[in-house]
Amino acid sequence: MQYLVSVINDSDSLATPEEMAAITVFNEGLQAEDHWVFAAGLASPLSATVVDNRGAEVMFTDGPFLESKEYIVGFWIMDAADLDVALKLAEKASKACNRKLEVRPIL
Amino acid sequence: MVAALTTRFGDLDIAEEAAAEAFAAAVERWPADGTPPNPGAWLTTTANRKAIDRIRRENKRDGKQKAAQLLYDNEPPEPLDALTDERLRLIFTCCHPALAMQSRVALTLRLVGGLTVAEIARAFLVQEAAMGQRITRAKAKIKAARIPYRVPSAADLPERISGVLSVLFLVFNEGYLATGPDTDPVRHELTAEAIRLARLIRAEMPDDGEVAGLLALMLMTEARRNARVSSRGELVTMQKQDRGVWDTSLIAEGHGLVRERLVAAAAGVAPGRYQILAAINAVHTYARDVRDTDWSQIVALYDQLLGLDPSPVVALNRAIAVAELDGPEVALAAVDRLDDRLASYHAYHATRADLLRRLGRNEQSRAAYDKAIELAGNTAEVAYLTRRRDQLS
Repeated sequence: MQYLVSVINDSDSLATPEEMAAITVFNEGLQAEDHWVFAAGLASPLSATVVDNRGAEVMFTDGPFLESKEYIVGFWIMDAADLDVALKLAEKASKACNRKLEVRPIL
Repeated sequence: MVAALTTRFGDLDIAEEAAAEAFAAAVERWPADGTPPNPGAWLTTTANRKAIDRIRRENKRDGKQKAAQLLYDNEPPEPLDALTDERLRLIFTCCHPALAMQSRVALTLRLVGGLTVAEIARAFLVQEAAMGQRITRAKAKIKAARIPYRVPSAADLPERISGVLSVLFLVFNEGYLATGPDTDPVRHELTAEAIRLARLIRAEMPDDGEVAGLLALMLMTEARRNARVSSRGELVTMQKQDRGVWDTSLIAEGHGLVRERLVAAAAGVAPGRYQILAAINAVHTYARDVRDTDWSQIVALYDQLLGLDPSPVVALNRAIAVAELDGPEVALAAVDRLDDRLASYHAYHATRADLLRRLGRNEQSRAAYDKAIELAGNTAEVAYLTRRRDQLS
């Protein structure tokens, strides 16, 4: 089963060199144990564009869909047999990137 | 039985419904047909059939495969007593840390305790529809997020047991604090339910110290229930309780468990929170008369508890014991140090009020009682505090 593990940032700070190093080590572990599917960092929400083509004319809006203090700054897609496994991985991931995470099942 | 069905069919909903239908069928058929020689097996077989029927009706692909497996499964149904592992799995699943505490409590009472949604709703003073939704969502999360249906691994067990015990303690306290004439009687059954579940877990995990500790704590606390509220619906503190109405068999059972854990502690197994709280209760309930209470033992135990759990509430309770040993002035000094952390806790103000009263500082005592009354939620407690305040000259 796959889980989307989103990294939540609550300030403007980016990952420090120590955090990057820890994330790399964590990712190597993920790959070695076959839990890795994909992972990536995201550009700031300021660089986002909202696209809404539900109506007659498409609308483009500058900025994130939700204005909030907390926002997603990166994510993993992890493969895990069940939530216990996913949570264990997320525990390590949270420590490594020094951020709060959200673990959500992928349908 | 729900546990075994969940293992077999991998779905809490189907298991629950099948179990309910089997019981309903039994209620309908047994009076007429007579009770079958092995009622447990009859129920299990009936429930299995109902579950298979439902899976077939719903045409789930997964279900079809499972149903196919089951049709070829020639094992006789397990006797109900061999469900120990199943029950543990169910309890640990209902108490999973990924579920909110409220959800864990509701799910455990529903699926393990067998209480109806209406009963649980009344017990926690919540609308029935809201409670039903809470339970439905919890089951949906278990399914969607794939919370595994199993007993945690040895490495994870201590933390997960702690989670289960928190749920039971919450249920117990909810039941125990329910006092006063307007209380729904269902709330009293919560203490019995918490004790029953703790006994169940103790039977499966007889070597776990904290399980024993919590059970002992609950037994000795429950033993004092009849002495706790006066005929006028007022709270009676332990100092003033009629010890003659304490349940001696529950106390004896609690003491037995505490003694067992003392032996383990002497052999080097460090006691956890519940074991220490149980030991404190044991010292209290050991005294036939309140004047025989071994307060220095109690203070020593609170010192040990502070080492594990340096919370201000523990410090407050320790100070109450210190007042008996070293007098109210020393105790008050210790209590006042907790002001910034306990200002919104009614028991903090009640404690201060009592100590100030003993020191003859009536004005300040009255003010503290007022604060305590304002913050207290329990009618019996409010009645008690009001009387104490009004008795100040």
